Amino acid sequence: MDDIFLESKDVTLLEILDRVLDKGVIISGDIVISLADVDLIYAGLRVLLSSVETMERLRGAPFASPMQEPG
Amino acid sequence: MTMKIYAYAVIDSSDKIKGPLSGTEGAGIYSIPYRDVGIAASDIIDECLFSSAVKDIGAGPAKDRALTHEKVIESLMENFTVLPFRCFTVFNGKEDVLSMAEKYYSGFKDNLERLYNKLEFGIKVIWPGDIIRERIMRSRGKNNGLTSISSPVKNFVKEKLERYNIDKEFEEEADRCIEAVDDLFSRFYVEKKLERLKTNKLLLSAFYLVDKEKEDDFKRLFEELKNSPGDLKYLFSGPWPPYNFIHLTPYPEKVFGAAQEMFDKGASAQRVERRLMRLRP
Repeated sequence: MDDIFLESKDVTLLEILDRVLDKGVIISGDIVISLADVDLIYAGLRVLLSSVETMERLRGAPFASPMQEPG
Repeated sequence: MTMKIYAYAVIDSSDKIKGPLSGTEGAGIYSIPYRDVGIAASDIIDECLFSSAVKDIGAGPAKDRALTHEKVIESLMENFTVLPFRCFTVFNGKEDVLSMAEKYYSGFKDNLERLYNKLEFGIKVIWPGDIIRERIMRSRGKNNGLTSISSPVKNFVKEKLERYNIDKEFEEEADRCIEAVDDLFSRFYVEKKLERLKTNKLLLSAFYLVDKEKEDDFKRLFEELKNSPGDLKYLFSGPWPPYNFIHLTPYPEKVFGAAQEMFDKGASAQRVERRLMRLRP
């Protein structure tokens, strides 16, 4: 089972950012100090977060054979 | 310099948080109790520094803060049911935290009960989108270009129609694969959130809410899926706090929504009033 987690660690940063910047309990209104930057950053990161190429880069090696057409 | 309060999560207890646990800037985590729930928080000194540091989330202090935020919530998960706040949720003071807690209390309770003993897992499925599309084109006999037709208008319409049909087949193939994966896990999850084809290669980004007792079964099944032959590549992450399964509506909006729905269905003012009384926090 360990190899699952070894592999998943490679994409952990993206997974964390995806969650902590845009999900969970989101409080709106004057009561919360406005950090509009967070929304802007997340908008910029959205493409990055969903990019397979980014995941490949973070893993340090491209996804191998599954991306190739079977003979 | 003024003291602010950084909030990490709502927890299902108003008791003190046991053990030393440090958060952003190394500050100690404590709980601000409201009725039978608590807001896990820490003090933060300078919101300006904090805000500017957010600008570079990819590296440095902002990245560390995002990681600390997650780490604190994961530690809290060991002892409590948690509703994680979005990263960088900061309040001016304790009064504002309590005011927020009052406004959202019933929603917090609903979510805490629903998410008790549950974990979130993420599964990403990657497929060779370009190759799949090429295969579809080949099977439709279109890999050598369109047969020329004398009329340019007819040619244009035929080309448009062909593209539409290829896209349709591509989507159908995606739906078949997604359904197969989702069916496989259906025994183990209680809720799901599926995002399909966010990019050509990212076939599926799935979030599953799983009972803690089924965690090992869920992981085992993923391992089997990962080792199965085929074009698809699978990535697993978790367990996570239930970021994707928090459904929260502040009290005023909740009341307004319920009243609107009842009026739309022709309910009398007295019935609406009785219902609203029951929704009071």
